[in-house]
Amino acid sequence: MSEVRISAEPRTEFGKGGARRTRRAGKIPAVLYGHGEKPKHVALPSLEFTNLIRRGGMNQLMTVEISDGTRELALPKALQRDPIKDTIDHVDLLLVRRGETVTVEVKVTHTGEHEKGGLLVTENDSITVEADATAIPEEVELSIEGLAVGENKTVADLRLPSGVKLVTDPETVLVTLTVPRAEAAADAGEETEDAAEAGE
Amino acid sequence: MLMPRKPPKGFRKPHHPKRSGMAKGGTRVTFGEFGIQALEPAYVTNRQIESARIAMTRHIKRGGKVWINIFPDQALTKKPAETRMGSGKGSPEWWVANVKPGRVMFELSFPNEQVAREAMRRAIHKLPMKCRIVTREAGEV
Repeated sequence: MSEVRISAEPRTEFGKGGARRTRRAGKIPAVLYGHGEKPKHVALPSLEFTNLIRRGGMNQLMTVEISDGTRELALPKALQRDPIKDTIDHVDLLLVRRGETVTVEVKVTHTGEHEKGGLLVTENDSITVEADATAIPEEVELSIEGLAVGENKTVADLRLPSGVKLVTDPETVLVTLTVPRAEAAADAGEETEDAAEAGE
Repeated sequence: MLMPRKPPKGFRKPHHPKRSGMAKGGTRVTFGEFGIQALEPAYVTNRQIESARIAMTRHIKRGGKVWINIFPDQALTKKPAETRMGSGKGSPEWWVANVKPGRVMFELSFPNEQVAREAMRRAIHKLPMKCRIVTREAGEV
């Protein structure tokens, strides 16, 4: 994944009031930590950071250029979002070094066509892997070509890029092609049962 | 109809649950492809949950799967009509789920998006608050 630059300002006021003032000014309160260093509190430009996460996802490697002249290489570790407005309230950034191995979640995408008549249920849409901080895969493809009804695909069926080590249990199920339940029939069945109960 | 098998001891006639705040979890679609997200706080009764489920499943007929992410585990009491005040708390009348804004209450998996959206629109009409339809995005945090 390509590396991007983002500017940041050191944050001087903290707490609920300070965080709200930062957000009103179009910035996101963030904290940078890792490698046993003291945490740095910064404010990131809201629009720029949101677009960056939308395009690159949670594994977007970024160079944070703080206005005091320091530069830090970081990965987003946790995001706090507003569930209604879907805005980012706070970001935790983890300091990384070039060549360092990091443990991250990578999304799994599906390719191919499964057998007709089944309903594809996604049990897990991401896996945990260990990879070089500068070479984290954007996504891992899972082929569901010819998947039959009643069958499933596990993490072991994935083909990981070289240099990426799997952390998730290989037996973890990713997708299952289930037999679609005849819900209408089931409802009708329930109604008959209810009527029978009322009759008694 | 959903309800606890047996209310925990001392929780047969609880106070009304708090309606302030936002949902702390369960705000993303995690099982199906689409979800119904609450935009306002409300007590959702087991009858409303069942009604919404039926509205959805009858519309999709077959070939889909529905998940219900909320459970009516809170009892609400009511005093009988034309009763004088006092003489203790009323008897349990409803079982409700205390839903906060942002909570994804129902999820649906169905191959045809248009039909799925119509099914969810019908289900939303059975619910006591403003809601919206949300979709799942792979690997979203």
